[in-house]
Amino acid sequence: MSETISTEAFQVLLDRAGISVSPANMEEMRSAYMMLQAMRERVRQPRGYDAEPAHIFAPAGR
Amino acid sequence: MVSDPTLLTIREASTLIAKRKLSPVELTKACIARTEALDASLSTYVAFTPELALEAAEAAEVEIGTSGPRGPMHGIPVGLKDIYDTAGVATTGHSNLLKRRVPTEDAFTVTKLRASGAVITGKLGTFEFAIGGPSFDLFTPPARNPWDPARTTGGSSSGSGAAVAAGMVLGATGSDTGGSIRSPSSLCGLAGIKPTYGLLSRRGILPLSQSLDHAGPMCWTVEDAALMLQAMAGHDPLDPACADVAVPDFTEKLDETVKGKTIGVIRHFHETDHQAAPPVLAAIEQAIAVYKSLGCVIKEVRLPPLMDFAAVGLIIMSSEAFAIHQADLRATPELYGEIARDRISMGGLLTGADYVQALRRRQELCAAVAEAMIGVDVLLTAGSPFPAQAIDKVPKWLMYQKPSITMPFNVTGLPALALCAGYEAGTGLPVAIQLAGHPFAETTVFQLGHAYEQATQWRVTRPALLAA
Repeated sequence: MSETISTEAFQVLLDRAGISVSPANMEEMRSAYMMLQAMRERVRQPRGYDAEPAHIFAPAGR
Repeated sequence: MVSDPTLLTIREASTLIAKRKLSPVELTKACIARTEALDASLSTYVAFTPELALEAAEAAEVEIGTSGPRGPMHGIPVGLKDIYDTAGVATTGHSNLLKRRVPTEDAFTVTKLRASGAVITGKLGTFEFAIGGPSFDLFTPPARNPWDPARTTGGSSSGSGAAVAAGMVLGATGSDTGGSIRSPSSLCGLAGIKPTYGLLSRRGILPLSQSLDHAGPMCWTVEDAALMLQAMAGHDPLDPACADVAVPDFTEKLDETVKGKTIGVIRHFHETDHQAAPPVLAAIEQAIAVYKSLGCVIKEVRLPPLMDFAAVGLIIMSSEAFAIHQADLRATPELYGEIARDRISMGGLLTGADYVQALRRRQELCAAVAEAMIGVDVLLTAGSPFPAQAIDKVPKWLMYQKPSITMPFNVTGLPALALCAGYEAGTGLPVAIQLAGHPFAETTVFQLGHAYEQATQWRVTRPALLAA
């Protein structure tokens, strides 16, 4: 599990995205966000400058 | 006279139709009657169109009577997931947001199906926008599993899974962004294929995540899935992701021996990364034994952790889905069901850098899988790690809690087939295996899936509710 995020900080993220969450769902969304955080950390591994995104096709023969 | 034509496979029905021993009208009427008998308890359709189906069946009957069938789909009743556009018939994504949306054109794949002579019976329920469900706050309730109506069908192609398993149609379209064809195929005991990314056009299908979305068929048997895929495939120059490749005969290798084929078992996916339930693990071992008996070579394959694929897929899917829906989510959030709204909203909390990092990791994962598949014909793992759950107890954030076992083949774009591999003792619920092949090697995937079906007896059993 990733680091926790305070309710206030989570609300800032929601506001920035323009998303309204009902008070009843707030804690559940915050918990889900922390699981998403763990996934973000998983894909943020160090990579070289030549690490291309997946939509770049490999030249023929490479 | 066929006693119950709804229990025929597409191959069987089309053979009888070609011999004039089964009429498309008789078959369609039987499917309509089955739907009228069961749809109240299974909530399969969001828009059932029996009059249109009968018109199409009558036209098929006349044409077949004068000039023979166009092909194996001519006169075959099929349902469409309600994210496939249909000219003149509402296409809603099972969402209140689009409840009154009536397209003026068919999706490309629907045009192809109509051209094959398939009889369209209506629009089937889906998880809202192919992501939110099972939901009880939409304009119709979620589809229920014919093997046990207290259970979920899986999703997101929920109505498609239920309708085929219940014999309401002989085939149905699905879409698959993280497993939405293969999950309901697994939980409803069907054969469903997510073909190679780019094989089928996505034009006219409501998008969830453009770089992960795939269209595909769901049927009772692997052979039927091959026949229906044949009818849906073809290059669409107006879909920029549609590959301009020759479409092979997907049934051409079905009866060839599989002796010598190499099957790479990804044990860590279903044994540790997302530990499957005991009946699923047992079914996989039995399937391996079947393939060994058929002369296949079994080897273990190790891929990057399943969670890496799941994280990449979830970040890309959430980001792309939020980009599609953000204006509506901000303006009219009340028109979304809670599950779709909350799941899509999570994409708004990701950054541009998160999305690009996921795309960079996707490239690395594709390369790792391609290398691992050298010398391997297909990969094998679970179709679903578990049989169908209670419909009111499906965890809303399951994909966040446990890595999806189907997502790796959305991330890599490889063709992946889920097929029935038995039934859980006691509950009788289906369990499934999954076979994934090389890009555009659907014929080999079908060949190995069909060989397994022919060597086992699982296709004989139908849901008990059909006997009642």
